[in-house]
Amino acid sequence: MRNVAIVGVGYCPVFVSKRNDVSIPEMISEAIHNAYLNCGLTPEDVDAFTFGNMHTFEGVNMPHLWSIDHLTALGKPVMRIATGGTTGMSAFHCAYYHVASGLYDVVMTITFEKHSEGDAQVGLAGIITPEIMTMLSLGIDLTGGSGMGGLGGGSAGGISFQATSYLHHSGAGIEHIDAEAALERRNAAKNPYAHLKDPECTAEKIAQTPIVSYPIRYGHICPTTDGATVCILASEEKAARIADKAAWIHAVANCTTDATTGNLIEGLITDPAEQMSCQLAAKKAYERAGIEDPRKEIDLVEIYNGFAHQTLMFLEKLGMCEVGEAHKMLERGETEIDGRLPVNASGGVVSTNSIGTSALNRVTECALQIMGKAEGGHQVPKKVRKALAHGWGGLMQYNTVTILGEAPLKR
Amino acid sequence: MDDKVAIVGVNYAQGDDLGLTRERLCFNAVRGLLDQLGIDRHAIDSFILASNDFLEGRTISNVFEDGPVGAYLKDETKVEMDGINAVVYGALRILEGNYDTALIIAHGLCGHQVSPYLQVQYSLDPTYDRQLGLLNELSGAALQAKAYLRRHGLDEGWLDRAAAWELSCGASNDKVTRKLEGVDEAKVSSSAYLYEPLRELHCYPPTDGVCAIVMASAGRARELTDRPVWIRGFGSSIDSYYFAGRDLAVSPSAGEAARRAYAMAGVDDPASRIDLAEVSGLFAYQAPLLAAAMGLAGEEEAPHRFASGEMGKDAPLSLNPSGGALSAHPVCATGAVRVAEAFRQLRGEAGAVQAGEPKLALAHGQDGLCLQQNTVVILGI
Repeated sequence: MRNVAIVGVGYCPVFVSKRNDVSIPEMISEAIHNAYLNCGLTPEDVDAFTFGNMHTFEGVNMPHLWSIDHLTALGKPVMRIATGGTTGMSAFHCAYYHVASGLYDVVMTITFEKHSEGDAQVGLAGIITPEIMTMLSLGIDLTGGSGMGGLGGGSAGGISFQATSYLHHSGAGIEHIDAEAALERRNAAKNPYAHLKDPECTAEKIAQTPIVSYPIRYGHICPTTDGATVCILASEEKAARIADKAAWIHAVANCTTDATTGNLIEGLITDPAEQMSCQLAAKKAYERAGIEDPRKEIDLVEIYNGFAHQTLMFLEKLGMCEVGEAHKMLERGETEIDGRLPVNASGGVVSTNSIGTSALNRVTECALQIMGKAEGGHQVPKKVRKALAHGWGGLMQYNTVTILGEAPLKR
Repeated sequence: MDDKVAIVGVNYAQGDDLGLTRERLCFNAVRGLLDQLGIDRHAIDSFILASNDFLEGRTISNVFEDGPVGAYLKDETKVEMDGINAVVYGALRILEGNYDTALIIAHGLCGHQVSPYLQVQYSLDPTYDRQLGLLNELSGAALQAKAYLRRHGLDEGWLDRAAAWELSCGASNDKVTRKLEGVDEAKVSSSAYLYEPLRELHCYPPTDGVCAIVMASAGRARELTDRPVWIRGFGSSIDSYYFAGRDLAVSPSAGEAARRAYAMAGVDDPASRIDLAEVSGLFAYQAPLLAAAMGLAGEEEAPHRFASGEMGKDAPLSLNPSGGALSAHPVCATGAVRVAEAFRQLRGEAGAVQAGEPKLALAHGQDGLCLQQNTVVILGI
């Protein structure tokens, strides 16, 4: 095992609803170009690539094949990873293993999603379509029971069960989800690579948006975004030579549990707010990073939150506070950009969601905060020594965790 | 690479209609393998799946497979490529040091797809190539076949002989889909054209299949088996998508992938060092094309040596004694099956298709149109 650093990050210039001006390969190549510019490396320096997106969202199978000529990766090893919402971080972890294995010195992770060329909700509904078809063919009644909520509309239907359970167990109210969404929209306004920005956003403003599926309001939900993110990783020896600033990978971990659509079969399935796989992945990551008390040692957190209640829920699952504490931290302002523990200073996934990039953006945002390179006013005022990035996906069941530090881990 | 990462067990199944759900297929493969090794799922640290959402017809197709493969509350990820790349990822994870074991599960159910060629169709440039409909897996392969025939002054009769030879190897392999007893040139040349010059028996059969592989670090491998098969090297490379600009009669990326694998394995003269090669040739001309690209046979002689049976199981270098992908091609599992076939051969467990006593073997997998992306793994015992 050897130390691995993040030495370069590249975003496409904007994350917006529709990049009508560029094709998929063009949009990805913008981020690649920026990654090279930001760290002074050239394509000749990169030994291997990992690539991730969710290809059912654009309808192009294994799009690295089609776009390879625009990825500076011709003739290089390329590994495609796809795990749903966690894809970006899974591809990043794959790049980490490439370098940490000792076989590759510099590896680039490329992720993107161009939602405007497809329909994310159709893609998401496709997760359970085969199950529904089977149930229909067997004559199972889908119309009775509250199970239909899980099918109500892509992920927002199923997620309402998770949010309800979270509120029940934490004692938080819908007003806390409003406040969390507002905080992240305000943070997003300071991030040039965020999509939904509102510098004046308040909980009251969010509360005026309609309920989509109780307790989830329109204002709690992520947008569908076009965007690409690239991250360059290097071995310790190489990083010392090429990087003026680096963020060091202290641990990577991930875990799965059973797929759940919420309350599809009442009483028979896992509570989608339990997120045991998040608790286990976090435990493993702390162990690997030598972290004894994450609440004291972690300075900043980036959480995968397609829906605003997830910021609060996952803070608890990651062990960053007790159950029922997260919304109180929010009330006390501790998770603001200038707070004790800034959470989603970037605006989070709830403000920007080009799915393939979303879990990687959690890592790159932590890296930029450690390097002091976060642009546009969302650099947190406190010194960030260790940061935690979280990814979530699958059918509620995948959790990935990455812990970064300002210095290499002493092993 | 010295004795660092090993394969300790494989279990695979292929057929034109296995009649199982994906979940049951994966469960059977994994359960069978764990039983064979005398371990349970808790002996596995890391699960790496290989499948393709377009083939499966669903988004994030691994979400319902984690339970059946035993990954519940475990580390799991998915490589969305041919399964041989999951083997490479497994090796990287074990080399890193966090994990002592990895379970690879690659599968594809293609036996009853509306069209087995659709998943390649959907990988094409969506604006032009896919919409025009002229380019697809078969038309691309037909162009490549013509380029290869022209380069080597061969006719369609050679394609028949090459296919008949490879299929005759598969005829004695219990593990394949297309088991054609007494297949010969005449039978191949009487099969219908799918896309001229390619006839049905020049092309892979749509196949259901699954392949489970347990990999382990050196210490753990010796506990799990007394005959570990070691990963000696691996390599991967990719060619341009714009295949009008490529010389289709050769495969530079297959050559580059092999060179990287040889460098890691310390193989300087592959033609004499490698005893056995299992390559994923989806069409009859591809196995000799790949063998030449990888330096296993001369470019000029490869088509003749292969089609005449000179690279059979009794030869010093056996090429596809299993019958190759021409006898079974479960998309996504095919490259992993090549690894599994090499594993059986190195351990002398290949039964009727056993090719002597090989010590060093090569396995190959591909993705994309006309051998665009290639991965090679070198295995030794």
